[in-house]
Amino acid sequence: MKVLVGDPGKCKLVHACEAACAKVLHKKTGRPHAAIRVDPVEGQPRFQVCNQCGECITVCPTGALTRAKSGIVLLKKDLCVACYMCVGFCPSLSMVRAEGVLPPFKCISCGQCVKACPEKALSLVEQPHEGLPS
Amino acid sequence: MITVNGDPLEHEEGLTVQGILEAKNYKFPLLIAFVNGKLVKREDYRTTVVPDGAVVQITHLMGGG
Amino acid sequence: MAYDYTKRTDLKGDVDKQKQAHKVLKEITFKPALPQRGYNDRTLYVNLTDLTIEERPVTQQMKDKFIGGRGFGLWFLWNATQASTRWNDPENELIIAPGPLAGNTQYPGSGKSLVVTLSPMTDIPIDCNVGGYFGPLMKFCGFDALEIQGKAARDVILVIDGPKGRIAIEEAPLENVDSHVAAEVFTHQYADDEKDLPNVSVVSAGRAADHTRIGCLNFSWYDLRRKATRLKQAGRGGTGTVFRDKKLKALVVHGFPVKGDQNNPADLERIARIGVKMHKELHDFDDSQCHMRRQGTAHLVEIMDAYDLLPVHNFQYGNHPDTPRINSQVWDKRFTQGIPDGCWYGCSMACSKGADEHQVMTGPYRGHSNTVDGPEYETAAGVGANCGIFDPDWLLECNFYCDVYGIDTISFGTLCAFCMECWQRGILNAERTGGLEIKFGSGPAQLELMHQMAEGRGFGLIAGQGVARMKKIFAEKGWGEAQLLNDIGMEVKGLEFSQYMSKESLAQQGGYSLTNKGPQHDEAWLIFMDMVNKQIPTFEDKAEALFYFPIFRTWFGLNGLCKLPWNDIEPADNARTPEPAKVPEHVQNYCELFAGITGREIDRHELLRMSRGVYNFQRVFNLRQGKGQRAHDRPPYRAVGPVTVEEYTSRAERYDKQLKEILGVDPAGKSVEEKMALTREHREAQYEKLMDAVYKRRGWTPNGVPTLETLKEVGMDFPELVAVVEQHL
Ligand code: SF4
Ligand code: SF4
Repeated sequence: MKVLVGDPGKCKLVHACEAACAKVLHKKTGRPHAAIRVDPVEGQPRFQVCNQCGECITVCPTGALTRAKSGIVLLKKDLCVACYMCVGFCPSLSMVRAEGVLPPFKCISCGQCVKACPEKALSLVEQPHEGLPS
Repeated sequence: MITVNGDPLEHEEGLTVQGILEAKNYKFPLLIAFVNGKLVKREDYRTTVVPDGAVVQITHLMGGG
Repeated sequence: MAYDYTKRTDLKGDVDKQKQAHKVLKEITFKPALPQRGYNDRTLYVNLTDLTIEERPVTQQMKDKFIGGRGFGLWFLWNATQASTRWNDPENELIIAPGPLAGNTQYPGSGKSLVVTLSPMTDIPIDCNVGGYFGPLMKFCGFDALEIQGKAARDVILVIDGPKGRIAIEEAPLENVDSHVAAEVFTHQYADDEKDLPNVSVVSAGRAADHTRIGCLNFSWYDLRRKATRLKQAGRGGTGTVFRDKKLKALVVHGFPVKGDQNNPADLERIARIGVKMHKELHDFDDSQCHMRRQGTAHLVEIMDAYDLLPVHNFQYGNHPDTPRINSQVWDKRFTQGIPDGCWYGCSMACSKGADEHQVMTGPYRGHSNTVDGPEYETAAGVGANCGIFDPDWLLECNFYCDVYGIDTISFGTLCAFCMECWQRGILNAERTGGLEIKFGSGPAQLELMHQMAEGRGFGLIAGQGVARMKKIFAEKGWGEAQLLNDIGMEVKGLEFSQYMSKESLAQQGGYSLTNKGPQHDEAWLIFMDMVNKQIPTFEDKAEALFYFPIFRTWFGLNGLCKLPWNDIEPADNARTPEPAKVPEHVQNYCELFAGITGREIDRHELLRMSRGVYNFQRVFNLRQGKGQRAHDRPPYRAVGPVTVEEYTSRAERYDKQLKEILGVDPAGKSVEEKMALTREHREAQYEKLMDAVYKRRGWTPNGVPTLETLKEVGMDFPELVAVVEQHL
């Protein structure tokens, strides 16, 4: 599976990734609608984004969260009851929700932010997903 | 001698909050411990040494029920 | 252990064929609707005698005074019945009502239905708080409550089908009444397809509810992971007995797919915020606090044992060396882990554990492999420790059949323990029980008693009447001394005790006996505050706790919420708050949840005021039915102190010390009998003083009757209530 990985050494905190993501997911511009968030923590940029670990799959009561063949964890909106348990149980706080949007959302490894980043700080890295919750 | 929730308990050198819980068989998970009026955090139970003569309050919250 | 938890014995049979045998007796169409800000302002009334099905409006006064859930249930029941009405009169109603907050999917523990009826055990109203999807799905079809009155001539089902806009009473002759079969069959009959299964919920009882007074109701939900219907119980007080007396085989609701905003809440953001906060709290702390997500309430077994509070041998003792055989580590392994076991969407406390692949050992389902829902603490303690049975397989077997047959595990555990003690003391013997050797520790005997109840034969018919009636029957037959039977028969108001030892906690004796419906721990659980922490030493302190907690906890039932997420998880800084036992941050969450859904801002004082009205209303209701006075609030002595020499001796050090320190009596040279008599006199006097203090704090007369000023203060001075109270002033 392709996992989005950030390089804190290259990131200059321009937040272009957030804007690109909000556009893809919600046709919005603001950071609240983005599934990736970059913040400085102790002087270093920190990327808060889904690592496709699949913990959320096991807490979802409706089967709305599944791992696709590609390995990416996907949310089927029509099955989601907006309970937000996945939000509270995401180990990396990468399942998020935004005001006015009922289902939560997460990174789907689409790569738009990778293209948008002027510093080339983001990349999609191939990682194995055997043994992870599905 | 110290008192725990008003009852006397023999003091011994190096007695910790955790030691008190074991001596009293306090197995309930939702506890709040005060030693001489000062709150002791759960993660410090094993390292907090209780002096002789201390007044200890171990409050059990409810749960269950 | 690797096993396939979707595999179990299939019991459905040909569901279509069974459905074809239905005969529609009455059918209406209705317009499904969604609630606005938590209320539909519409309820459903059904009369099984004359086949009435009608919609009724909810008034503003009902919402103001009774809120919803248990409040609505009590109000309907009050209006439908009279002082002389008994449980099996056709006018008795069975009411199922979620509350205004029920059905939200964001806050843990928000899917409860409240069941209210006149109890066959107590002759006064019983209220049960039960999970499963029925209440919320019904609410999202457009009804705030379901009122069922009358009796059918033959076995019927009631179907509420939202997507089809149809409500019907149908004769259903072929289906099995036993709950695990009924839930499965009716769910498959009324779901459109596999995807639709979670949108159906069934209420059913079981064959033992036909022959006993301790029948319970099972509320189902479809478990997607296990591919099976799961069950939650409205256990106490004989709700299932009333259900079967009305010739109801099942209630079926077929709802719409659930979405996260169907309550049309005033402020979804606000609810989402506190919901996420709670999920996070459970994620962060449950593993180091109560392990509810892995073990459910069964985590309490060894804790209660450690504090001498686990009832053993009919509440004689508080611990047992064999407890490790049924403790939480055992259940942790038996329960299938890693499944979202919430009894409604969004419950991240997820305590509704399931033990898969139980191989049924006895009775009609012997040889089947099945999922057992539970055991919860009450079941493990009641049918296990209290009966001296420390074998997890027998415990699961008993739990399984209680649910299947529609029997309350708590009453069953307590009455079975009573029978076993009667056997121990020679009050019962093989001749009197028809050969059933009902001895402490015997799992097979316990199950045999259960099967007798299901088949309506033998000693099962007597035991199924409950402890209160058994005491009378045994005494009348001259099998035992009335005094001893009364001392060891663990019931108040006709209802069996739930499974905690109250002997060493005066406050909890009140917590059990000064309740509205009978000795159930859901009003107040004060043992730690009282006995271990010594936080409430004076009568006034205890009275304050017995004022606050019952009122506060009533609120869950008015709104359709579960109590567990209130204090079985604790925020990080709870210890630093002035009153940690109240879990102030969670109380604030509830105020916000209420405001977020209904749009009405409340604070913790207003929250109490809402409950206090209904609580006093229920007390007056009891009064109208001939109970609700001081004489009905006294516990059996077993709940208060040592009844027998063995009990005294088992805790001699403690009792001797109390004689010396509290009564100033030197125990040396006194016989055990003398010391027991002194202890008893003292403890009974203490309890009387406790009653005085509690009644005073609650604004009741020394006879336990709410005064006119109290009724006025809590907004319950309706003329009809005043009239009832005036007869007792
Ligand atoms: S919010 Fe939706 S996706 Fe997340 S756990 Fe709940 S139902 Fe599943
Ligand atoms: S805590 Fe347990 S009983 Fe309460 S709502 Fe959640 S799953 Fe149901």
